[in-house]
Parts: sequence; structure tokens; C-alpha cells
Amino acid sequence: MKTPVSVLRLPRGPDPNSRGFDPSSPRFLALCPTSVPSSSSSSSDEEEQRLRAELRERFLRTLLLMTGKRVRFDMHEHVRVHARFGASDIDVLNLQVSDLETPLGVQREALLRCQDVIACSFEV
Amino acid sequence: MLRWSSRSPRHWHEFVNHEVCVTAGDQQRFEGRVFTVDPVSASVVLVSVQENECPSVRVILGHAVTDVQILRRGTEETERQMKSVFLPDRAQDLSAEELKSRRESVRLWLEKNRVPVTEDGELLCVANALTISAPYRPGDCSSANEIILSRIQSLVESIPGAEQPSAQTHQ
Repeated sequence: MKTPVSVLRLPRGPDPNSRGFDPSSPRFLALCPTSVPSSSSSSSDEEEQRLRAELRERFLRTLLLMTGKRVRFDMHEHVRVHARFGASDIDVLNLQVSDLETPLGVQREALLRCQDVIACSFEV
Repeated sequence: MLRWSSRSPRHWHEFVNHEVCVTAGDQQRFEGRVFTVDPVSASVVLVSVQENECPSVRVILGHAVTDVQILRRGTEETERQMKSVFLPDRAQDLSAEELKSRRESVRLWLEKNRVPVTEDGELLCVANALTISAPYRPGDCSSANEIILSRIQSLVESIPGAEQPSAQTHQ
């Protein structure tokens, strides 16, 4: 199970003519909410913004804690794989992992789509 | 009934610090205390509540969450315990004198490097754009300006002398 396998398929790189992140791309529109629902009065906007910031900061700390650790990914159809977590992209659409253990062997580097993942667990 | 991922941050915040049971896509259930819900992806971060085992963290992706039920409400103590998992080095570990001398040595080092810095109680304020809170490590700098942040961080990191090595490294 530990034999490394050669790369099966490289992901398509970012558009060379843009910043690499295209808000009008079909991928972004399909997977991300196109607008944030806003409240009516401005004071509740501020409160909502403050809550968003606090929640997001905690989430980023979670990702920081997860970096470099061996994480178990629970995916659809009760598939479970282990890998070393590397990074997530800003919209939490893809996860970069290393040493992904699959039935085919160990993938040295891999990109997991978040739509395929249900949960990730790790020990602190 | 709105989908979990369409809810507002206010709604998600209601669950933080409480023990919940999250139901995911294929009828899987996950239990734990909510540390946060990511506002971008609606992902729920749960921390295990067992006392004697080392804590484990589970992130359930927002698109898979179908239901979240509160089992037990949390307290200030549980919030503190949970936070200590994610932010282990707290300033309480150092005494007031140690904190003061650290603050002084960081301030002198910054002044030596011609950085305008003032003391504001326990905080160090740099050029009205960045603050350093106790215990004055590179990770304690906060600013809205990335460039200033990275420059001051590398300065604080390179402070000479017998500085306490940070207990946690995110390598």
C-alpha cells in the first residue's frame, strides 16, 4: 500500500491571462454563492460583518492547526482515505494534500475536490 | 426550511460552543462541540469533548450538512478549554514582570531599527498601523496592511538575544 504511484493526471492550471482566480468562471459561479444576503439596517450589517470575521478567523486557525497533520477524509460511498494536509484554497473548494493513501498506492501530491469530501478528521 | 449553507452568520454563531449532532449527506452523524462555522463554505468545525483522550477535530464540509441539533449547551469553561486547543500559547503563561521585560526588549529592538513604536498599556502600537499584543511574538502582530505586517513580523522574529523559543511551530 505504501508504494508511490506515478502521477495519473495533472489538474488544469489557472488561466495564464488572468490573476488565476476568475469570478466569472462557470466553476466559481456554480460552486460559490454569487452574492451575500445583506440585512436592511446598517448597524446589523456591522454586527453581521463582525460575526463573519470572528467565525472565519476561527476557521483559518482550524486550517492552520490541520496543516502538516495526517488527516482522515470521509468521502461519498463510505470511502475513507488518509493524507497529509497541505492547504485549502480561499473558497474551500479544493484541498491540497500529500502522501494520499489510495487502494492504487500512495499519491505523492494530490488535489481533493471539496464536493467529494464529506468530513476531515485529525488528532491534535 | 433553509439549507444550512444558505443560513446567515448570525444563525451559525448560535451554535458555537455548544455540543451538537450534525447529520451529513448519507445519514452519517457526527457529534462534538462547535468551534466555528466557516462563513465562506458553511463548514462546521467540531471538537471532541472527551476528557481523557487527546482532543480530535472534525471539519464537516458545508455542502454535506443537512441538519444540526444542539444536544447540550456549553459554558464559559468549555469555551476556554476549546480555545486552548487552537491557541495553545497564551500570555497567562508568563508573569507580569516577564511580559513587561519582553515588551520592553521588543520595543527597544524596533526603535533600534528606526520603527516608530509607542506603548499603549499592554499593547505595542507601530506607526498607527499595527499592534503587537502579549507575548509579543511574530504571531501576535495584527495589522490591516500586509506589507507592514510581514516586515514587522520578520523584524520581531529576528530579535537577537536569549529569546524564549516558541513552543509551537506550524511546520
